[in-house]
Amino acid sequence: MQHLYFDDITVNQEVPNLIKGPLTTMHIMRWSSAMENWHRIHYDLPFAVNHDKLPGVLINGTLKQQFIIQLLKDWIKPNGWIWKVNFQFRSMSIAGETLVTWGRVESKTITKEYGLINLNLGIKNKKNEETSPGTAVVAIPFRNGPTLPYPFKPPIYLTNDQVA
Amino acid sequence: MSLLPKEALDYIGIQTKFEFACDVVEKGAVRRYAQGIMDADPIYDLPCEENNLYGGPVSPLIFPTHMFRTAFGGQDPIQRNAFNSDADGSEGVSTIQGLPDIAPLKHLSVMNGGSTFEFYRYAKHGEKIKVQSRYADIYEKKAKEGYIIIVVTISDYFTDEEELLLSVRRTQIRR
Repeated sequence: MQHLYFDDITVNQEVPNLIKGPLTTMHIMRWSSAMENWHRIHYDLPFAVNHDKLPGVLINGTLKQQFIIQLLKDWIKPNGWIWKVNFQFRSMSIAGETLVTWGRVESKTITKEYGLINLNLGIKNKKNEETSPGTAVVAIPFRNGPTLPYPFKPPIYLTNDQVA
Repeated sequence: MSLLPKEALDYIGIQTKFEFACDVVEKGAVRRYAQGIMDADPIYDLPCEENNLYGGPVSPLIFPTHMFRTAFGGQDPIQRNAFNSDADGSEGVSTIQGLPDIAPLKHLSVMNGGSTFEFYRYAKHGEKIKVQSRYADIYEKKAKEGYIIIVVTISDYFTDEEELLLSVRRTQIRR
């Protein structure tokens, strides 16, 4: 397995997209069952449309957030660590949609122990509309540096030697 | 028109005691979860080179947040609401990890507004998980379609040996 090192990552570098879909009501039902979420807007079309005035059955936000984690995990494994992830659910995703999760390196920060990569990310629908904008910070070892601490220990301090 | 009753603000600062998940991190539950998110990473399955660093098979990073469900023999919210056509099924979902429902907002629908996660380590198969949560903020905001209420909670997830797994700041939209 190829290892990713801080030294090899450049600002504006794009993380390979993670594409999921079309996400059918079967995907939504399977996910809702796995997490024991019986919220009707995810499987009861008449309730979603007539009672909650939604455009259709919604893809769970809790499912969409998993795609963000998977995107980052698969990019930095096996030697990196996802430290922080933040996102908003700005617009609804309806059953049948295909979602594209993306990420782009915004800046790099050096700490004493390892490097931090700051990313912008999100989930776009087929109309290329951003549904879930967010940010993340992942920790990556230096090519000639030690492995990351596990369990992960946040940096004690940041140096002034910020790369970008 | 404003939606936010003053009584709802009394919930800010309410914090739960530690609550334990009714089950440990189970291999079968991890399988269903990983299949649900369509992530067949071998670290979730059997001991392998990739999960050696983590001490063996682990669950997906967010898995511990979904372990706090109705215990065997516990009250059944589905049956309790079987004759209520307005029940949206979110009972037990809107009550985030032991926090009491915000009674003055109970008539409003719930939507997931987003989250901030901080991760420290994976939960391993067989580990017992506990959580402590608090209402961090409740406020009103004007949106395109009118007023909405934002409810912010913070939950910290630990193993029963006090190791911090992750911390989550959640934003719920009530409208």
